[in-house]
Amino acid sequence: MFLINCPFCGEREQSEFKAGGEAHIVRPKQPTELSDDQWAEYLFMRKNIKGIQFERWNHIHGCRKWFNMVRDTSNDEIKAVYKMGEKPPVK
Amino acid sequence: MLNYSNVIENDKSYPGLQMREIKPVMKLIIRGKKRQFLSAVGKSLNLLLPNEANTSSRSDQLTALWLSPDEWMIFSNEILKSDYNNYDVEKLLNKNICKTNLGAVTDVTDQFVLINLKGDKIFDLFETGSPFNFNDFKSKKGLVTQTILTKIDIIVHNQDINDVNLFVRRSFSDHLFSWMNDSASRL
Repeated sequence: MFLINCPFCGEREQSEFKAGGEAHIVRPKQPTELSDDQWAEYLFMRKNIKGIQFERWNHIHGCRKWFNMVRDTSNDEIKAVYKMGEKPPVK
Repeated sequence: MLNYSNVIENDKSYPGLQMREIKPVMKLIIRGKKRQFLSAVGKSLNLLLPNEANTSSRSDQLTALWLSPDEWMIFSNEILKSDYNNYDVEKLLNKNICKTNLGAVTDVTDQFVLINLKGDKIFDLFETGSPFNFNDFKSKKGLVTQTILTKIDIIVHNQDINDVNLFVRRSFSDHLFSWMNDSASRL
């Protein structure tokens, strides 16, 4: 259990949120030109690294807004939280 | 309000806590992002929508609760006629907001149940089943939060000191109220 600082509502407990997977995955501009392997790479393959990961989260039991989070998956330390469309404040 | 049976048959009272359903009360959800939307709602209802997160605003007849950056709940301060499901406020907003493509209005009068809680044990009750930190919330009049209570989504409006409005979806309200009674009896 950890606290998440929702960019809209403020600090709330993790149980109010739902994780939405890896962030900043760009949809290919011309999907019809991709091979099956390339399309599968875009659709299914995720990094799932141990360490700093960029993720999407949804405050599902609060304001129901999506936002991005930079989280260290090894110790659940949240490095930054930022709104959709904004650039990550840390690399 | 449609002719639903009462979720809460009787008012309940415990040492430091009274709970009762308030009905019929008009409840609307309004959504919009543009600046013109905010000013159109303000002019239509003579009520400024709260811009700041987790706050509310109030006029003589209506209260507006902040739910998210582009979503608010509006409810009537007074009890309305029980055989009436046509609201002038909704009609006015439909005309000034929906038909001008500024935002959306949804009537949630029958979707949400309003439970009023009074007494100094309200937050002791909430703390038995909610992950939200009510320490700062309980001393500030007018604050609003959406959170979970015994895994059920609720909207809490701190109307006054020791006077709280709780909104819950009708399908969960029976279970929530029985849980609140059970928990209140052990405080």
